[in-house]
Amino acid sequence: MPPKGPDSPPEESNASPFFTVPAPIKRLFDKFPLTTYPANEIPQRLRPHDNVNQLYVFTDASGARHGRPSFNPQCLKWQAYLKFVGIDFEITSSNNHASPNGSLPFLLPSLPADASNPIPSHKIQKWAIEQVHCEEEQQLNMRFEVYASLLDNRIRSAWLYMLYLDSENFDAVARRLYVNPTTSNSVVRAALGHQLQQAARDELLKTSRYIDAAALEADAGGAFAALSTLLGEDEHFFGRPNPGLFDASVFAYTQLILDDTLGWKRNRLAQLLKEHPNLVQHRDRLLKFF
Amino acid sequence: MVLQLHVWGPAFDLPSIDAQCLAAIAYCSEVLPKDSWELIASSDPSVSPTGELPALQNGSIWVSRFRNIVDYLRQYSEGAWNLDQDLDDVQKADSVAFSSFIESRGQSLIDLYLYVTSQNYYNNTSPAYGALLQWPNQWILPPKLHSAAKTRTEHLGLSSLDLQAMEDQRKREHSAAVASGQIPSNLIQQPRDTVSKLLGRTAQTNQFRLEALTADFFEPLEAMLARNKTCLLPADDNNNPSSLDCVALGYLSLALVPELTFPWLRDAMRAKAPLLAAYTERMRSRCFGDAPVEPKHAFQPVPAALPWRAPERISVAAVGSTLLGTLADNTPFLREVRQNRRLKQAVQADSEFSSVEKQVLSSYADSSNKDMLLSVATAVAGTAALVGYMVHVGLLSFSTAGVEEEEESEQDAGVLQIDPGSAADFLGAF
Repeated sequence: MPPKGPDSPPEESNASPFFTVPAPIKRLFDKFPLTTYPANEIPQRLRPHDNVNQLYVFTDASGARHGRPSFNPQCLKWQAYLKFVGIDFEITSSNNHASPNGSLPFLLPSLPADASNPIPSHKIQKWAIEQVHCEEEQQLNMRFEVYASLLDNRIRSAWLYMLYLDSENFDAVARRLYVNPTTSNSVVRAALGHQLQQAARDELLKTSRYIDAAALEADAGGAFAALSTLLGEDEHFFGRPNPGLFDASVFAYTQLILDDTLGWKRNRLAQLLKEHPNLVQHRDRLLKFF
Repeated sequence: MVLQLHVWGPAFDLPSIDAQCLAAIAYCSEVLPKDSWELIASSDPSVSPTGELPALQNGSIWVSRFRNIVDYLRQYSEGAWNLDQDLDDVQKADSVAFSSFIESRGQSLIDLYLYVTSQNYYNNTSPAYGALLQWPNQWILPPKLHSAAKTRTEHLGLSSLDLQAMEDQRKREHSAAVASGQIPSNLIQQPRDTVSKLLGRTAQTNQFRLEALTADFFEPLEAMLARNKTCLLPADDNNNPSSLDCVALGYLSLALVPELTFPWLRDAMRAKAPLLAAYTERMRSRCFGDAPVEPKHAFQPVPAALPWRAPERISVAAVGSTLLGTLADNTPFLREVRQNRRLKQAVQADSEFSSVEKQVLSSYADSSNKDMLLSVATAVAGTAALVGYMVHVGLLSFSTAGVEEEEESEQDAGVLQIDPGSAADFLGAF
């Protein structure tokens, strides 16, 4: 740095001890940078897929690569629905913290390319109808909502109990799928596991004063029987030629309950479900989509 | 042996204030011979070992919840007391599905209508509880039921019906904004709308939301009724009601009959489902009698449509145990211990559980007790670690001045010796 002239303002000369660099060091730093490397590529997994819709679900890395069914019933429902109505998409492994509304799944559509707003799960159906002009099945049959309440309440409660509150299943399945991938720290794992179980317990205690496992299972058994009667000899629910939203909702639970690769320790729901062969066959038929 | 049905007491001209209890009363009045059962408005869940109402007592056997009561009556009478025996498979499936539908959707709407909507709760529901509960339950139970209803309906996102929650939220936001003092005014959230504004403005999203909720609930039922004419699911060719009709009556009568300050649910029902409203009135006079039920009928029984029997006066011991129980339930940690114990006791008392299930459930209760102890230990360890860290860093200084003051403290020993004694005295006072 050139020496300052005597006419420079007094403030600057006061500040000079902080801003002048000794000449030898300045010469050294003038040599930098020695070389400039080209910019790094954007990581592979973050590369924007220009022409593919992305569905963010609970899954593992290999499941995401091969598009296998998610291990979360809500995610699997929408994953299956999009497959059934024939929309191309890829699934991406994610968790609740990534979602704009705090829960998975959500969809990042490829079009329009400039404004890709995420679509939360309760709007996916509307989006799909706009895309491929499939039917809004709720309107076609008044029994849709009625029988859907079996899945949303009775079967879901029994599922919550079996997955989270049955301690052997929780250690074997839920801990492996939901807790362990998030962190390797055992203290955090313990805390997360506790939170998950407490959330499930609170959910079940909302509707009753105590958790009665036998009643939950009996209710689920009744629900399976009703669904089995509703399906009857048909290929798909409500006698539709192609599977739709209701089939996806049922498949989301039957697939996970019957999936032996999840490693269930005690699977009472599978015993109840296997009493209805038509529901098992329904699941097997739909599994071919994956 | 006379069967005794314990229920929440009468309110709003109906024999009970609870939908499940109304359903159980309707079922019993349909299926049981007139003199084989009694209706007791005990209005206290602690009378039943399961801690729930409705509860059916047959000697030493207690059965709670509507579905369990239906099952028990069928087994007890070896199939004679069963409204659903002539249903075919499709009708049975419909019965299960519609029951689940009515119980889930209907319960949400009733919660919103009677409890979450502030005007209705403070002007109608809360006084109704006051009339039917005995001391001290009238001070303890309604707030519990109120908050339970709020948690059940949280996910519907209609808390703007709840004036108190809104006022709290407004104050919180206001004080936060004032405290920070530098939030730009356009970032401070506007307070949400009140019910009166909601009524005035039809284009409100909440209004849409309520419309959608009520339409979703009433439309399938109205369609089903239009098909079957007299009943939702006729049990036989004479159009007698089935168990599903009893469930429907329980929820629909609570929507239709009460005279409330803000009757949005009744208005919606009359507008959207006229058939359903007529059917509810018809079923109501069939099951509960033509005359409106008043609370005093339950406590000083006169010959009426329903076989009322006066509940026993509440004993001193029961009052004491209620008060102690409430105290324990409001103490952190004790609450969880009690909750887990409740599950276990209920399981071991219930002879219907197989030994495997018993073992599973008690191990669950044990493990959640362990969880609870673990979280206590975690909290203690965390606090200790924090204090240790603060001492280490120097935020807390117990001993920094200790070396210099050691001589002084020896001189002060006479004064210090008083302290342990006074602390013990203080504790001893409890």
